[in-house]
Amino acid sequence: MREPAPYLRLPGIRSRSLLKTTPIVGIAALCSLLVGCGQGTSTVARSDKPVSGGTLVYATDREPTCLDPHVAGDMPQVFVGQQYLDSLVSMDAEGRIGPWLAKRWEVSADGLTYTFHLRNDVHFTDGTPFNAAAVKANLDHMANPKTQSSTAGGYIRQYRSTDVIDDDTAVVHLATPYAAFLEVLAQGFLGIESPTALQRPRDTNCESPVGSGPFKIVRWDRQSQVELVRNPDYNWAPPTAKHQGPAWLDRIVWKFIQEPSVRFASLQAGEVDVIEALPPESHEAARRNPDLQLIIAQRPGNPTNGTLNVTRAPFDDIKVREAFVRSADIDGALKSVYFNEFPRAGGPLSPATRFYSPDFQHAQDYDPAKAAQLLDQAGWSERDSDGYRSKNGKRLQVHVVMGNRTPPSEYTLWEQVQATTRQAGFELIIDQMSDVQATKRQADWDYDIRLGYWNTNTADVLRIIFGSEFIRPAGVGGYHQNTAGFSDAAFDSLIQQALATQDAEQRRALYFKAQQIASSQYLQLTTYPQSTRLGIYKTTQGVRLEPSLAVTYLYDAWVNK
Amino acid sequence: MTSASLSSERPNPRRERLQQLGRRALWRLAGGILVLWAVATLTFFALRLMPGDPVLAILGGPSGNPTAETIAEATREYGLDKPLPVQYALYLGRLVQGDLGVSYSQHQPVTRVLAEQSWPTLELTFTSLALAWVLVLALTVLTAGRRRWVGTLASLAETLSAALPHFWLGILLLAVFAFGLRLFPPAGSDGWRTLVLPSFALAIPLAGFIAQVTRESLDLTLDQPFVLTARTRGLSDFKVRFKHALRHAVLPGISLSGWAIGALISGAVVIEVIFSRKGLGRQLFQAVQAQDLPLTIGISLVVAAGYVLANILVDLLYLWVDPRQQGNAS
Amino acid sequence: MSELTLDTPLPAIRVQRTANKVRLGPVLAVTFLFLLIIAAIAPQLFAHSDPLGIVPRDAFHPPSWEHWFGTDQSGRDIFSRVIYGTRQSLFIGLAATAIAMSIAIVLGLLGGLGGVRIDRGVGWLLEVLFAFPSLILALLFVAIFGSGIGPLIVATGLGGAPGYARMVRGQVLAVRNAGYIESAKALGHPPLRIITRQLLPNAMRPLIVTLTMGVGQAIVWASALSFLGLGARPPAPEWGTMLSMGRDFIANAWWLTFFPGLFIVLTTLSTTVAGRYLQQRLEGRLS
Repeated sequence: MREPAPYLRLPGIRSRSLLKTTPIVGIAALCSLLVGCGQGTSTVARSDKPVSGGTLVYATDREPTCLDPHVAGDMPQVFVGQQYLDSLVSMDAEGRIGPWLAKRWEVSADGLTYTFHLRNDVHFTDGTPFNAAAVKANLDHMANPKTQSSTAGGYIRQYRSTDVIDDDTAVVHLATPYAAFLEVLAQGFLGIESPTALQRPRDTNCESPVGSGPFKIVRWDRQSQVELVRNPDYNWAPPTAKHQGPAWLDRIVWKFIQEPSVRFASLQAGEVDVIEALPPESHEAARRNPDLQLIIAQRPGNPTNGTLNVTRAPFDDIKVREAFVRSADIDGALKSVYFNEFPRAGGPLSPATRFYSPDFQHAQDYDPAKAAQLLDQAGWSERDSDGYRSKNGKRLQVHVVMGNRTPPSEYTLWEQVQATTRQAGFELIIDQMSDVQATKRQADWDYDIRLGYWNTNTADVLRIIFGSEFIRPAGVGGYHQNTAGFSDAAFDSLIQQALATQDAEQRRALYFKAQQIASSQYLQLTTYPQSTRLGIYKTTQGVRLEPSLAVTYLYDAWVNK
Repeated sequence: MTSASLSSERPNPRRERLQQLGRRALWRLAGGILVLWAVATLTFFALRLMPGDPVLAILGGPSGNPTAETIAEATREYGLDKPLPVQYALYLGRLVQGDLGVSYSQHQPVTRVLAEQSWPTLELTFTSLALAWVLVLALTVLTAGRRRWVGTLASLAETLSAALPHFWLGILLLAVFAFGLRLFPPAGSDGWRTLVLPSFALAIPLAGFIAQVTRESLDLTLDQPFVLTARTRGLSDFKVRFKHALRHAVLPGISLSGWAIGALISGAVVIEVIFSRKGLGRQLFQAVQAQDLPLTIGISLVVAAGYVLANILVDLLYLWVDPRQQGNAS
Repeated sequence: MSELTLDTPLPAIRVQRTANKVRLGPVLAVTFLFLLIIAAIAPQLFAHSDPLGIVPRDAFHPPSWEHWFGTDQSGRDIFSRVIYGTRQSLFIGLAATAIAMSIAIVLGLLGGLGGVRIDRGVGWLLEVLFAFPSLILALLFVAIFGSGIGPLIVATGLGGAPGYARMVRGQVLAVRNAGYIESAKALGHPPLRIITRQLLPNAMRPLIVTLTMGVGQAIVWASALSFLGLGARPPAPEWGTMLSMGRDFIANAWWLTFFPGLFIVLTTLSTTVAGRYLQQRLEGRLS
């Protein structure tokens, strides 16, 4: 048998076969590098004069479940809704209500009847004219249980009916006085849709709702993006807008990019023009980058918080509540977890809310000495073997119930609360579970702390989260908005009086007292106000946040690519 | 696998073989349908066992404040007020007709969700598999049976690749090539450029795994008498490797490919999340989190069906490729 | 001259070429595994900081002499967390593989010994389990039974069981007609004794390598589940969980994800190399 001589010939053959393959591989690599290199940095001339035309690419973190904001009602929905819907009234930065689709209105003395005088030159993008019948159709749609409207429907519980007097006059009847009615009507959640479109099945309308706004929806590519194009007939922008007439942009591509680092990287590379929910860890990098601009605005309403369940031990004792709040070092947590980008919220209302009072900003400051004192006074003076406080052999235990989709940074913040309150002797147990299970625990009142926030442009939010009528479950599901279980007759009467009057000064005084009660009762551990944070690439200008909910408003925006 | 003794029956060995393949395919398909039934049943009861009221999942979660009428309406609409066995029977009935129901979280027919989300996952899976095989073939064929240090180095590379968790590799690739060097987009599902990094993240560990098996097999094959015979006949080394040895050597790799597709689909769940890609993997993960029963069952069925089919094909391919089954000399 | 075709399975002969493996490899692998086991039993020997101790002011420090692997978003020392995580990960890997193997042995014996009908039934059951890619099976399992170490172990075990079951069944089929089994039967030994003394050991021997590598794979699977948020919940220092929590900060602080992942890789690598070495020793190839 021959020696394995072929093996000796291998080097020659090997190099020959390799030579055949190397060029192909090499060119491919070079090509991809070139393509990669060719992208990204293009010099763009900035101009202050709006440019008509172009496509704006917008990236947000959450995808709405339905494009019609009447259905359910979550923040992603109102963000999209703001671009293709108009509202009956508008709200300016000072909180004053101005005209929009309704030119002017009268409120009856008893506060139960609102007469709206509507514009007559408005039509929806499917051709249907806007008139009083459209207003009636929309309000009825929100109030209809079949729509399954959690937010919009929840805001107009007092709504009874609308009378169509003529094409330009609609009379709305409420069951009880509701001074916040005009405020909620300014929100994108209650935007006006085409009545023709509303007659379609709910799920069809979720896909392709029709409004009268500066843009119209073309396509919803699930898990990927929503495409909007300009409405060429638009001529009824609110007085808070920067121009009138059609929008500057031809097209908006509204993308969903869940991962914060990926979203920011896309912005830096110029692949998207605007991103929402700019991650706190990237704020510094964004500021240092000359190609980027930041727009940050706080949202009105009830700030992000952990609401304490006052109906059961240990939080049925106000001293323990205050001790808990005072033993949590929220400022330290915000510095590390949120890179000091989020300010502390001390009171029950966010500073951007109308009638917010700054007097309660420091009611929750970190004071471990005071906490220790309060706990001793409350009888929790013993310590058990692990160092936690106890009373009559029972440990001072607090359960925080969290859903699965709580963002990791929020979780980390509560981990830090866990560590700092531990020093005061609290055993904080974080129970994380699926959203559905969390809702069940909520319905059963089986929690000590529940995380929450409420974005709305009215101080009436205090009624929803602390009013005794909201302790009762809203429906069979058992979810109750008053998570704290707080029930106080004086508080309720203050809130009702605030709803009964249209006078701003009176309302301010009443809401001040309401905030005082809520703050002094230590019903929540408020952490930071909700905010909208946009990162904008150099190609784009004119992006604004509308005042009612600090929602992105692209009507005045233009791109220069 | 089956042993085909074709040397005993001379007339029409090819037709025999095709018939045999056909019968096997039919038998496997029947089994496949049974499997799908079991999958649907398992998933249905699994998700029904989950604690919590699905109505609230449908109504968009805890931030809403649904009224009693709203909840009653939703319960009626989704048939959740009927007893469990009835729901199951109704569900199976609709399933047989091809109606997979309406997704709780997306409010659109499950079949539509599947249609939209299937392609990106398929794209990713097959690109990764193809890429893995390219890497495997390149590495093993060129380096097996050569000098010791070449083989050692290659073997080390393979073992290292196989040990890389795909989610870690994905994050690293993302950080280096997308965030750092900006060569590829960090997110998206359209265009071939969004496919590169995710495919590599899945292909590299798989390639390491298959390469180890194929290398060992190739080494063994190259030592076989028939290979030596081929060499003495003067066949070029290239021909020996590709035409003769490889055919035997890839058999274990091919049978692994069936398993590999399953591993790739599993991996796709995490990779799609990391790279923000559309696809069934990410969709399934979200559906399970949202306790969206119809969508979870729908995706599980599609994945199971695809996997069963892939395994049948791999099985048949194995029979086809295996030269031991052939009656003719190649 | 017609080409010789193979009528028999490839014989297990190997040209004595001292295998494509450097001896250094197994030594390093076994050493690393040994260190890991010590770290699992007594983490205090290696780690000096509390893996759960939050120090907000020390957040996001890069690797330094003080913190070898840097600190995470709550200021915890990552090296300590990785060391403490060893215990979790190794335990999960071993327990999951044990569960997988137990299921596999039962199913494999049933299939291999039980006659054609039972074999078909077992085969069908395996098909069903196989039709779920393992991660999806694990996903569903965790979805029902909640997240946490217990369900994680069972889910990972379930994911691996079908694969092992197939192998065990194949081995049982191959071995059951072997000479020594026949002679044992002829000698009149009770079946159970044959199974436990003769059949199983011989059937399982080739699988030892697979098992060793399987522990590494189980650790990766469990990490993947934890990475998705379905396994060990934070702040547990499990490697997958750490990867998941650090993912958002990859652009600012790469060390949060790099080091836990590195340890996963090294563990898997070590089990693979050690497993191969073990196989070669068992089959008497290395002198």
